[in-house]
Amino acid sequence: MFATERRRRSAYLYLTPAALIFLVFTLGPAFFVLYISLFNWNFLNSAQSTFVGFHNYTNLLASSTFWHSLGISLYFVIGTVPVGLFLALVIAMALMNQFAGRGFVRLAVFSPYVTPVVATSIVWIWIFNPQFGLLNGLLHMAHLPELGWLESQRWAMPGVILYTLWHSLGFDVIIFMAGLSAISADLREAARIDGANRWQEFWSVTWPLLTPTTLFVLIITTIGSLQAFTQFFTMTSGGPLSATTTTSYLLYQLAFLFYRTGPAAALAVLLFILIAGLTALQMLLSQRRTHYQ
Amino acid sequence: MLQRKQSPKSPPAPSPVPVPAPPRKIWRRLPWWQWLLGIFLVIIFLFPFYWVIVTSLNGSNQVLQFPPVFLPHGQWQNYTRAWSEAPWLRYFANTIFIAGATTLLVLITSLLAGFAFGTMQFWGKTAIFAGFISMMMIPQTVLLIPDYLVLRDLHWLNTYWAQIVPWSASVFGIFLLRQYFLSFPRDLIEAARLDGASEIRFIWKIAVPMAKPALITIALYVFLGSWNSFLWPYIMTQNPRVQPIEVGLATFLGTNGTDWTGLSAAVVFTTLPVMILFLVAQRQFLAGASAATGGVKG
Repeated sequence: MFATERRRRSAYLYLTPAALIFLVFTLGPAFFVLYISLFNWNFLNSAQSTFVGFHNYTNLLASSTFWHSLGISLYFVIGTVPVGLFLALVIAMALMNQFAGRGFVRLAVFSPYVTPVVATSIVWIWIFNPQFGLLNGLLHMAHLPELGWLESQRWAMPGVILYTLWHSLGFDVIIFMAGLSAISADLREAARIDGANRWQEFWSVTWPLLTPTTLFVLIITTIGSLQAFTQFFTMTSGGPLSATTTTSYLLYQLAFLFYRTGPAAALAVLLFILIAGLTALQMLLSQRRTHYQ
Repeated sequence: MLQRKQSPKSPPAPSPVPVPAPPRKIWRRLPWWQWLLGIFLVIIFLFPFYWVIVTSLNGSNQVLQFPPVFLPHGQWQNYTRAWSEAPWLRYFANTIFIAGATTLLVLITSLLAGFAFGTMQFWGKTAIFAGFISMMMIPQTVLLIPDYLVLRDLHWLNTYWAQIVPWSASVFGIFLLRQYFLSFPRDLIEAARLDGASEIRFIWKIAVPMAKPALITIALYVFLGSWNSFLWPYIMTQNPRVQPIEVGLATFLGTNGTDWTGLSAAVVFTTLPVMILFLVAQRQFLAGASAATGGVKG
């Protein structure tokens, strides 16, 4: 069978470009970072690195900086994920009804998502400015206490969370709208005819059928939040003090400000385990969805 | 939740009554809260855009005023000042080149791999595909350190290559095109083969035109992602001659961080191309976001 033989070989040929890139810049480096994490790595001269076993890991796990950053990351994840999920679902459901201007509202909600984080976070730094910012101006007009926002240890994180919700909520809304429109209108109508009120209909029909979408959004946004970096870089630089130093930001500081390559690599591996675990969970759940829907 | 098609004249009932009458009339119409919510959302999500434009067109004394000045005053010199203080043209050219080249390469690698996975039988197909998909699990943050060292050994730091080549294959792209080719009429492929058309020609003449919607979605998202990227080029380059626009803007924030009117002007002119692209191709962008859900369906 000459034809199939040729076809087979050309398949490998077609996979080669993508495979090479993944190998050199993704898979290979993933093992490389594991290797580096076992060394006291010399950033300038790799040959002078010394093997230290799991020393970087034990050091990291014993350091308060690491646990502090994990707590900060958790704060950010809790501030963005459950809150974002709830808001996105409410907005998506409201936008499922036909009304004049619906398309425009949907476009408006989605538009921040396509903007560069560097650019739009600058806009929000200005809005959050404690002396001249719009937000404190509004608080002042409402006779509420003005806040230090990004310059205060207490309000810096809520500020970054607010920006992140503004920037990314639109994506979740679109996903939820896709999920909602896949739920058969007949089913909901049937529930209503059976005497369910709007609330009962939501809990017994819409919410259970939407579970796969909800899980998808939940895990995707959690992974996104764990990796968030740019807004912390521009808005707070991890401060004030270390009030917004997330694990991803700590990784950047260790690796590229302090050149502590070994410990940074160990931190990268820990972060990888966390994110890969969540991704694997996501893939597992999304495969199951095809069975029951 | 609410029904999508409502008869325009159904009277507002005080509460939903479980009457098995024509279903379209059970529903309460609440156009006013719908409108209120719509207007509220538009204000929340679009106001920062309006605010940066206002700030970019006001005098420096006006932006430090209380109560805030909500209308622009045509201070266009903020733009000329900001434009003259950084090599923006170079940043733009770099960004367009990097994003364009990355997009083109992603389309090629995705098309070839997606075609192989979608239309061909070969040994190890499932395992290789699983391997490709699992690349998604390795996040960029984790790759920064090792890739920095790899790129340094390749002498690619401070070059365009460091910003293009590592991103020229995309799991999302491969997955989307594989799905596309799986639904491709098999007869067509066989017919073309019997005709003696070479596979590459077949891909180029028939598969590409037919996969156009998927290709456009991939191109838009890859281009946008490349344009908006910051951390990677920030780490891998130091020279403004090869740096993209967002890194340039961050540098500008560092040096001109207190010139709020100039900074706002820079935000406006660096973001404008992205917004125009988004507005022109909004349909494809929204469809692409929905496709992301399908992208993990398996």
